[in-house]
Order: sequence, then structure tokens, then C-alpha cells
Amino acid sequence: MKWIALIAVTLTGSLLLFGVGDFPEWGDPHSPANQGPKLKSGEQVSKAVSQDFLTETYEVTKVPNVVTAVLADYRGYDTMFETVVVFAAGLAIFAILRVFGDGSDTPPMRAVEDDTFVEGDHSRIIIGTTCKLLIPIIQLFALYVIAHGHYSPGGGFQGGVIMGASFILLAIARDLKSALDWFSEKNFMTLASVGILIYAGLGVLCQFFERNFLDYGALKVFMISSDHPEQMARSYSMLGVEIGVAFTVTAIMFAIYANLSSRGELKEGL
Amino acid sequence: MIPIFDYILLIFLIVAAVISLKVKDLLSASMVFGIYSFLICLLWAEMGAVDVAFTEAAVGAGVSAVFLIATVYNTKRRSSD
Amino acid sequence: MENAIVIISMVLICFGLLFFLGSAVGIQRFPDFYTRMHAAGKGDTLSSLLVILGFAVFQIHDLEFSGKWISENWVTLLVMLKLLAICAFIMITSPTSTHALMDAGWEDGIEPVLKKDKPNNALKEDQG
Repeated sequence: MKWIALIAVTLTGSLLLFGVGDFPEWGDPHSPANQGPKLKSGEQVSKAVSQDFLTETYEVTKVPNVVTAVLADYRGYDTMFETVVVFAAGLAIFAILRVFGDGSDTPPMRAVEDDTFVEGDHSRIIIGTTCKLLIPIIQLFALYVIAHGHYSPGGGFQGGVIMGASFILLAIARDLKSALDWFSEKNFMTLASVGILIYAGLGVLCQFFERNFLDYGALKVFMISSDHPEQMARSYSMLGVEIGVAFTVTAIMFAIYANLSSRGELKEGL
Repeated sequence: MIPIFDYILLIFLIVAAVISLKVKDLLSASMVFGIYSFLICLLWAEMGAVDVAFTEAAVGAGVSAVFLIATVYNTKRRSSD
Repeated sequence: MENAIVIISMVLICFGLLFFLGSAVGIQRFPDFYTRMHAAGKGDTLSSLLVILGFAVFQIHDLEFSGKWISENWVTLLVMLKLLAICAFIMITSPTSTHALMDAGWEDGIEPVLKKDKPNNALKEDQG
């Protein structure tokens, strides 16, 4: 069985490598992706999508980072269901691993050691102090990444993961209990749902103004004092969407870690 | 894009991928998988896809390694094949 | 002036690479876990600091002092500030992670390699 798998993998890999030879050069301006579709006679059918994105995004949305604009505006559906996938992963982990009750019916696979953190514990004073110093900076950086996604690389997914990682760091450095004091199970499951609700709610809000789902230009009625109401509406709606994504991703990352590391009992972690 | 740098990264990528599949100790395998994620993050950053590289650095090299280690810690440490 | 900046940054980066080489050789050649972590932790911290300081010094190259202060200089200064922030971050995190790994190794019961002619070493007695 192993040999069949090896042969299949080798064949597929060599086929893919063979296909790579026909690709255009890296960054070639004359490649089909940058030129748009052409007929056999050489007649141009339409302009390429990538050129449209690069030239018109700033005029239409007032967002300098094209990737964020494509991610949150042009392909809003795609990103919404990506967020739903993250949420569903968290729910699946919760449904499979979470154990309610005192957990006495499932014997522990490893020896349970006392993992609770005591204030002034000398064996962990260095790590505790460093985490006290670093966690606020990490969370500040996460907020910067979320809010600055319009202008630089970043956005809801990255910022949410960094924010979740700060809570995971707290849970590793001290113990799971003190991390759960900051961010309890009720809170993170609520926050995960609220994130998706913000995203989908913005889409539904657009429908109230007789536009399509997730067509953010409909929200221009809220941009009273702006010179470009439609563009600024799209820009600010992207920010709202990113915040929703960040809520969900933060909560789900911490939920997955808490359930995985404590075997679903949420008592003691790693 | 610097071709030699690209080739070095690709060679390291293949080595890291093969090691993470071949190692029997699952803790080592998850650490080598973190190295793999970090290398592919470097490759993406070097090709100009900074957003993707940022995501890979945060998710692949940061959080998923922690998830894998948490899973290994609560199950068996040695792989059966 | 410009040559001096380039030379200073190159010297810093080259010293950083030298220390990287030292820590790599140390990881290969030292006998046990603790000495290896010693080489990795110390060498890694200092060499990363030196390399990033070299980058920060090289950024002075982009400043323009002729005439009045231009707004592009703020961008350069911001890049330098970010590099120095990375320096501070490494200075905090790298020794802490080394300490955490050493501590985990000690709790896991990894024996340090001790001198053969002194069997009753203080560490061994302490451990029981």
C-alpha cells in the first residue's frame, strides 16, 4: 500500500513539475494574467482583472492596500465564509473535545501535576515578569495590525491570530486558569459569534438601502460630512468587517488552544 | 527576486518537509513543521506577497506549532509508522 | 561621511555574522544540553542585536541633511525606530526563552556533564 502511494505521489509531482515549465516568467508583464483574454487573431477581448484592481481600487474605495480591498470588498463573500470556516473549526473542536462535569469518568492519560501559578513563585518569576512586560505590547501590535490593514500588510486574520496568541502566551507562561480569568469560555464563544454577526450584519444593512448583500456603497447615507461618501463608506465598512473577522479569529484561536491543551476540561493546560 | 536565494530556500523547504514526514518523534516533527512554515513565509515575502507571508508567519509558524505541540502532549509522542 | 556610515554598518553586520557562526559551532561541538543552550542563547542574542543595529545604522544613509528638513526623513527615522524596537524585543525575549528551555530541561532531569575527577560535585548532592 505504501508503494502505491509513493508511486502516485511521484507521478503527480513530476506531472506538476512538467507543467511548471509552461508558466510565464515571474512578473512577466506580457503574461495572460496581466494582458487579459485575447482571441486567436490577436484581438483583445477585455482588459485584465489584475490591471483593473491595481488602477481603479484607490479611486473606488480610497484604500491604498489593494490586497485588503480585494479581500474585504470585491470578494466579501469569500472572506465571510472563510471566517465561517474558522468558526466552524472552533465549534468542531468544542463539540469533539469539550468535557462537562468534573471529568472523573475519563482517566487522565498523563500524570496530573499541580500547574497553578502562585504569585511570587520563584521558579517562574523570570518568565512571569517577561510576559507581564510583553503581553500588552503584543496586544497593542495586534490592534495596530487590525486597524492599519488599509495601509500596510495586515488585517483581521493576522491581527486576530496575534491577539489570540497573546492569550495563549499567558496560558502557557502562567496557567490556563489565569488566562481563563481574563477571557472566560462564555466570553470567547460569545465573541466568536459576535464577530460573524458583525460581518453578516453589515451585509444585511446594505440590503436595507436597496443594494446587494455586502455592497458597502449603500452605507453612504452615514457619511454625512465626507467629500466622497460612497468611497469612504466602502473604506469604513472594510474596517468594520476586519474588526468582525478579528473578533472571531481571536476567540476561536484561544478556544482551540484551551480545549486542546486541557483535554476539553479547561482545568489545567500545558 | 534573487534566484540563488530562492533556490537555497526551496532546497531547505524540501529538506524540512521530508524531515517532518520522516521523523518518528512527533514533537520534533511539529517543530520541523514550524521551520517549514517559516521558510515558506520567507519565500513569499521575498516574492512580494507580503500579506500572505504575514499570515503564514502568524498562523503557520506561531499558533499552529503551539496547537500541534498541545496535541502531541496530550496523546502519544511517538509515531507508529 | 557616507563611507563612514557604510563601514560602521558593515562592521556591525560582519561581527554579528561572526557571532552567529560561533553559536552554530557551539551548538555542534559542546557536549551536553546546558552548554549547547548557553552557546545558542548568548550567541544568538548578541548576533541578532548586532545585525539589526547594523541595519539601523545603514538607514542614516537615507537621511538628507542638505538645506531644510524634509518629510521623507520622518519615514527613515520611523524605520530606525522600528528596528531599535525589534532590538529591545530581542533583548527581552531571547534570554527569557533560553532560561525557559534550560528550566524545562532541568525539571525533565537532564544530567549536565560534570568533571570526572570530582564525583561529589555540589550540583549532584543538591539533586540527591
